[in-house]
Amino acid sequence: MHRPLGFPDAPLPAADQDLLDRLLENRLDPASAPPGYGGLAKLLAVAAAPATQRELAGERQAMATFAAVMRSHPPTLTSRRTTVPSKVFTMKAAAAALVAVLSIGGVAVAATGLLPDQASSVADRVPDTTGADAAAHALGKAAAANLGGSAQTGSAGGQGRESAVGPDATGAAQAGLCRAWQAGQGTDNDARMDSVAFQALAEAAGGADNIAAYCEDVAASGSADAHRQNPASPPSGSAPPTSVSPPSSGPPTDPGPPASTGSGGHQGGPPTTG
Amino acid sequence: MLVAAQGGDEQAFAVLWRELQPAVLRYFQVVSQETAEDLAADTWVSIIGRLGRFRGNERAFRSWVFTVARHRAIDWNRQAVRSPTSLVPNERLTERPAPDDPVAAVLEGQSTRAALALVAELPPDQAEVVALRVLGALEVAEVARIVGKRPGAVRVLAHRGLRRLAKQMEATGMVRGVTR
Repeated sequence: MHRPLGFPDAPLPAADQDLLDRLLENRLDPASAPPGYGGLAKLLAVAAAPATQRELAGERQAMATFAAVMRSHPPTLTSRRTTVPSKVFTMKAAAAALVAVLSIGGVAVAATGLLPDQASSVADRVPDTTGADAAAHALGKAAAANLGGSAQTGSAGGQGRESAVGPDATGAAQAGLCRAWQAGQGTDNDARMDSVAFQALAEAAGGADNIAAYCEDVAASGSADAHRQNPASPPSGSAPPTSVSPPSSGPPTDPGPPASTGSGGHQGGPPTTG
Repeated sequence: MLVAAQGGDEQAFAVLWRELQPAVLRYFQVVSQETAEDLAADTWVSIIGRLGRFRGNERAFRSWVFTVARHRAIDWNRQAVRSPTSLVPNERLTERPAPDDPVAAVLEGQSTRAALALVAELPPDQAEVVALRVLGALEVAEVARIVGKRPGAVRVLAHRGLRRLAKQMEATGMVRGVTR
């Protein structure tokens, strides 16, 4: 006998547990639900109903983001890594990414509405540079636009910065780096991973794959909170002056620039298709 | 499909997006409510930026998408707690016209939104697990990894959530004579 009306937190007979598991996995037709579970079965079926057009309304925006990211940072990681001395642009990438991600700060509209324009203008002259470079430039430009031109991204070339040293990611820069990492997860990860700043972060986290978890812990601590609430205090070390835009609550309805499917696509290497 | 998308194939990415976006959006409607669309878009920006580095099959990709989504939700909820007034947009009222009677709406098979609103009223840990299981179509073990709990705990939370929902649906439905 099923007992949905009992105390919801009381232990359940195995048969009820099986029933609930079937409901959770949409393996039970609401029409054949036992007494007491009909409403729940309907609720779950409705909750998992097929997608509506409205839910897919953001497709153009998502595709524009995809196209922009792929254009400014084409998926040719191996060739880039073998042909470019990584330290040439590490600090530039770090600075640009840090400024950019802090200013973009998880704003989907900014990332999709602003970046593509900024990125494409830079990406058009990508052939004589690298994907990561272009992305760093694009991010820097986007950030500069957001910050009224105050971002110091070293976009004038960045040559000769051979001996960059990253901040101590276990120390004072930790919160800032984590914030940059988390906020910028959607921007230009690989270039950022090449930067000494984020390498330091990876080291502190015990590996690049652990950064997310590490930063979650950091963010949970008071220092991250304080930093977050206090945009006037940039991370120490070699991080550039930063500014945090207020998080956007703006509507995601901005269609952004048209999806750039017709632009000829990917710089720096043929996309893998199929 | 995933490999093609990782290589830059827009059509392949579109397929992945269409498959997962509704679930991601609904997940956020449960755990973050007002800003679901913003957070879903934000999640995709993250996913796209890291797509090249992702290693795993499409099943693992689904899990990863919800892992990223969850981080977004945690981030947002943290901010919302701190400054509730500035972060809750006025448009929430128009954005989410919660039906006057969500239970009735659900029983009539009308409103996914109403159903999600009911799930959202569960205690947060139950709501999240139910959302990941039902909307995300994720296995217990996958959900356990995403939320950092043991599989047994995930199962218990999901069951408790469902029982609460069942109780609510039956109680309200019977009063109204909507259900048998």
